[in-house]
Amino acid sequence: MSSSGLEELEKEITDNVQRCWKCRMCVAMCPTYEGWFTQSTAGRLMAINLYIKHGLGSEEELSTMLYACTTCRRCQERCRMLSTDCRPADTILKARQYLVKRAELREGKEP
Amino acid sequence: MSRFVKDVIPVGHIYIRDNVLEKDTLTGVSESKALWAKDLDLPKRAEYTFFAACGYQHMKYVEAMMGALKKAGKIGMGMGKVVGISKVFSKLGLDITSITAKITASEDDPYTPVLTSAISLLRKLGVDVGYLHEEEPCCGSPIYYAGFMDDYAEHAGKNYEIFQSFGVRKVIGLVPACTAALKNVYPGYINGYDLEVQHLIEVVAQKLKETGIKPQCKERVKVVYHDPCQLSRYLELTDEPRELLKSIEGVELADLDPEQCGKWSTCCGGGGLEATHPELAERIGVRRAEELLETGASVIVSNCPACEMQLAKVTKKLDPNVKVIDLVRLLDEAVE
Repeated sequence: MSSSGLEELEKEITDNVQRCWKCRMCVAMCPTYEGWFTQSTAGRLMAINLYIKHGLGSEEELSTMLYACTTCRRCQERCRMLSTDCRPADTILKARQYLVKRAELREGKEP
Repeated sequence: MSRFVKDVIPVGHIYIRDNVLEKDTLTGVSESKALWAKDLDLPKRAEYTFFAACGYQHMKYVEAMMGALKKAGKIGMGMGKVVGISKVFSKLGLDITSITAKITASEDDPYTPVLTSAISLLRKLGVDVGYLHEEEPCCGSPIYYAGFMDDYAEHAGKNYEIFQSFGVRKVIGLVPACTAALKNVYPGYINGYDLEVQHLIEVVAQKLKETGIKPQCKERVKVVYHDPCQLSRYLELTDEPRELLKSIEGVELADLDPEQCGKWSTCCGGGGLEATHPELAERIGVRRAEELLETGASVIVSNCPACEMQLAKVTKKLDPNVKVIDLVRLLDEAVE
């Protein structure tokens, strides 16, 4: 799939995740974290990164994880304090845009 | 909307997106947004334009909508069982409209009085304020946070044209999410965006300083302030609300753990999450309410319709004596 901004989104997401120090401070910050890693910021970022880079997981699973984020940005505040420039909350938002974009593109191909 | 989008994107978000794009409101209720302002005689053109937003104007319907959807058991991700859900949604939409059309703005509804309080407060402080009434658009931030980027960009462009056609220059926002959208998100989508956006709290704090008015509360109360995420981390307004609360005579502000307030405030789980993961949202709400109630305060003050709806819902179960009040209403009562 080319054009339409899909590749830009992919690059932006994976670049942001690349900058992550894996300190996992965001896990403790996340209000949705209840014991499972994929319920936290870091888990969501790793999942979308693995999906884009290696095709691991499915869109349905990703959707369940990504749409459970409250976009409260508490993780991003902590991340900013540690000056990692990873912007986790914005990256999750980008990942949602990525899911929507992919779905819309497939829809466009529907006769 | 084709089945592909529905397979991946939660139906709750698609439902809200269709409401925003087709009916220009969050809930899809066709009743006028501007009912609360009918006796206030607000001009459409003024120095400042008040942006009331769907939040407070339609919150009573959101409550009804969430309740109805939850009861129908059709809320949630709907993955793999999406067949027929859109039909249920459109049916529910109709039902909700007919139910809620009978409700008019009254004191039972805790959300619309916040709007009248905001206007009365601004007038007491000598601010020349107008309101676009029926023409006021929905800012569209729910679709932005759901990831519908293209729809959002188009919607934002249309809204900017509406603002321009009324000669809007300075905007006073009340709902944190909408204010943050107008202030920080719109400039990224619109070329030459030139609206000056402030949150009501900023304006009030500044005007109180200028006029030297001392707010007074009739009875002594111990309050705790809950920072809405959009206000504390998106708009970075954490000191102003606290200073305002402290400036009210008779109000004692309870201390929260520094890791739970200000820019570190814990999310209450209200807002968008309720459309997709209602059970999770409620658990988050209970955790936040417990943190707030530990301070021994009898009143929770906040500044966001979604937070208030969520906190009121969970505190009703935890401690029915605790009240949830909007900061604007408290200030309006305290300023002579």
